[in-house]
Amino acid sequence: MNQTSRIANAEVVLQARQLCKRFGAHEVVRSVDLEVHRSEVVCLIGPSGSGKSTLLRCMAFLEEYSAGEIHIEGELLGYVQNGADRRVRASEAQINHVRRNVGMVFQQFNLWPHMSALGNVTEALLRVRRLKPDEARRRGLAMLDKVGLAAKADAYPGQMSGGQQQRVAIARALAMEPHIMLFDEPTSALDPELVGEVLQVMKDLAREGMTMVVVTHEMGFAAQVADTVMFLDQGAVVARGTPREIFQGNPSPRLQQFLQNYLDRNAFWQQERELKEGAA
Amino acid sequence: MTFDWATIEQALPLMLQGGLITLGISLAALGLGLVIGTGVCAARFARRGALRALGSVYVTVFRGIPLLVQLLFIYYFLPFVGINVPPLVAAIAAVSLCAAAYIAEILRGGFLGIPNGQLEAARILGFSDWDALVRIKLPQALRLTLPALVNELILLVKASSLVSVVGIAELTRTSQNLAASTFRQLEFYLMAALIYFAINALLAFAGALLEQQMKRRMA
Amino acid sequence: MSFEPGIITERLVEIGQGLAITVGAWAGGVVIGMAIGLLIAVLQIFCGAWVRGLLRFYIELIRGTPFLVQLFLLYYGGPAFGLELEPLSAGVIGLGIYGSVYFAEIFRAGFMSVPRGHLEAAACLGMTRLQTIARIQLPQMLVIIVPALVNLVIILSKETAVLSIVTVPELTFVLTGIGSETFAFVETLLVLCVSYLALTELTSRLGLRFERRVGRFMLHRAS
Repeated sequence: MNQTSRIANAEVVLQARQLCKRFGAHEVVRSVDLEVHRSEVVCLIGPSGSGKSTLLRCMAFLEEYSAGEIHIEGELLGYVQNGADRRVRASEAQINHVRRNVGMVFQQFNLWPHMSALGNVTEALLRVRRLKPDEARRRGLAMLDKVGLAAKADAYPGQMSGGQQQRVAIARALAMEPHIMLFDEPTSALDPELVGEVLQVMKDLAREGMTMVVVTHEMGFAAQVADTVMFLDQGAVVARGTPREIFQGNPSPRLQQFLQNYLDRNAFWQQERELKEGAA
Repeated sequence: MTFDWATIEQALPLMLQGGLITLGISLAALGLGLVIGTGVCAARFARRGALRALGSVYVTVFRGIPLLVQLLFIYYFLPFVGINVPPLVAAIAAVSLCAAAYIAEILRGGFLGIPNGQLEAARILGFSDWDALVRIKLPQALRLTLPALVNELILLVKASSLVSVVGIAELTRTSQNLAASTFRQLEFYLMAALIYFAINALLAFAGALLEQQMKRRMA
Repeated sequence: MSFEPGIITERLVEIGQGLAITVGAWAGGVVIGMAIGLLIAVLQIFCGAWVRGLLRFYIELIRGTPFLVQLFLLYYGGPAFGLELEPLSAGVIGLGIYGSVYFAEIFRAGFMSVPRGHLEAAACLGMTRLQTIARIQLPQMLVIIVPALVNLVIILSKETAVLSIVTVPELTFVLTGIGSETFAFVETLLVLCVSYLALTELTSRLGLRFERRVGRFMLHRAS
């Protein structure tokens, strides 16, 4: 059985149906349907302003979606059904309950600057999971070790590089043992030379079978790691398929234009590198 | 508890007059405070160390002592050294001297807020020190400090209530007198509070308008 | 012009008691003000537009009126609606109410200074809004709001002098009392000025040291 059909047969972890998000009159996400199966890696790509980040933020209910549904392991996220076709916003406790198995990693890391790396990782273990301090500490250290930062446990965010901060942020999310991880442009705020270390951690996670939804501009990562790539434009899914279908298939004009921009940029880097090597 | 509306209505003109006196004292204190404050601010930027120290002592002393105590000090001290001035003059002097310390700091912040590059540009263009001050620094400092100065005026309207203790019939004293003679304490102090609130709301509104106009002109 | 320090030294005990009441009223006012202020700021986060509007009105009302008039309202106007207070309790409560709105504004600004993403991260980890306030927002905003808090505490120390007008036997009341008894106005007022100056200067020095300590704790600040 090949990879694709194995995943298609796995249970659905996250499902979005006819998902819409409006900011006033502006429709940012338009009727998106999406299924994420266990151990599947879905990459969302698209130009900036295409709604991919908003879509991801809806999946963690950081944005209230305007219409449609999101189910996480079968449970409706963010709302409580109230009669046949009426719903009300769920309470904080209900939202947190449905979201308990969702981990999120942000573009800006969002580490808490007044806590050490270990403090960041153990905070929710102590307050939300209510683990004993030594138990939380043990798991926190294990998570930091997993992202290669056990030595930085006592360092504060301001003393770490962006790449290290993002890896701590990943460890912080992983410590809660999520069933699905959401990544919102995790490498976009990083200096180019720090992107690799974060992508490596994410690749390892994917290899271990973590279910992941990744909003990214790293086409290489999408091509290499994703099971499914979705191309969004103006809030709608324009194309979806395996990396091969998206990057090497017969794309729509809009996707072709989008990918061309990347090719142009890569060509530029290629040229730079050759010039530098020539000079050396 | 019933409100005695008739008494209130009767006393309203007196209260409003008190409000006007409050406003007058505050404006006078702002004006005098600006003059003294400019001097103190200049001292704090002076080249001579002694002058700078004097400026900073002034600010520390007048900001470090309650206005009420300063007021009592001036009110009792002047006659003691043989200067007899009417209470109103003593009151305005005390409020102005105190306001000057705060205004000096506001102005200092304004001058420090002007980007250095602009002054360098003026120097390269051959502006004299005086021209740079009058043409570049002052207009900008005024714009930068306008919101703070309007705020200072509002603070002064509130602070001027303290001059009631030396018997000046501004808004607070008027309400005190009326409250004592009619035994309607709650009504008159509420009325005083509302008039203060109205004065300050009007000042804040006028300040916002002024600020907007200035912004438009300098945008 | 005569100057007799004896008038002061004779009545040091009385003056000391006045100072104690000044400091006590000040501390009480600060504690009450901070508590109400924090409550207002937190309610402004949790509550809907109606409550927020009401709180806004309270803040603007207190900010727009002199402390002295508020004190008169509480002390002399209170009995009209059944609130009879001792001068000292009226003074402390009045000081707390007066301070509360300024504390509220400082806390509100502090809450807003914490980046939204830090709160989103907490929400995604399942932390409740209250946990987030206590563990993420309050410690982070501390370094930003401490200078403003110290400044406000100093302002309140000076406002305690106003309590003398409603006959609270604090420092100003005691010393002006001695002054009018003995006509030694200059001596008593000088002592008064020096005492307040010492009080405010001391507070501001201690405040600076505290700021530095909080700052050092937060030195490892991100970006």
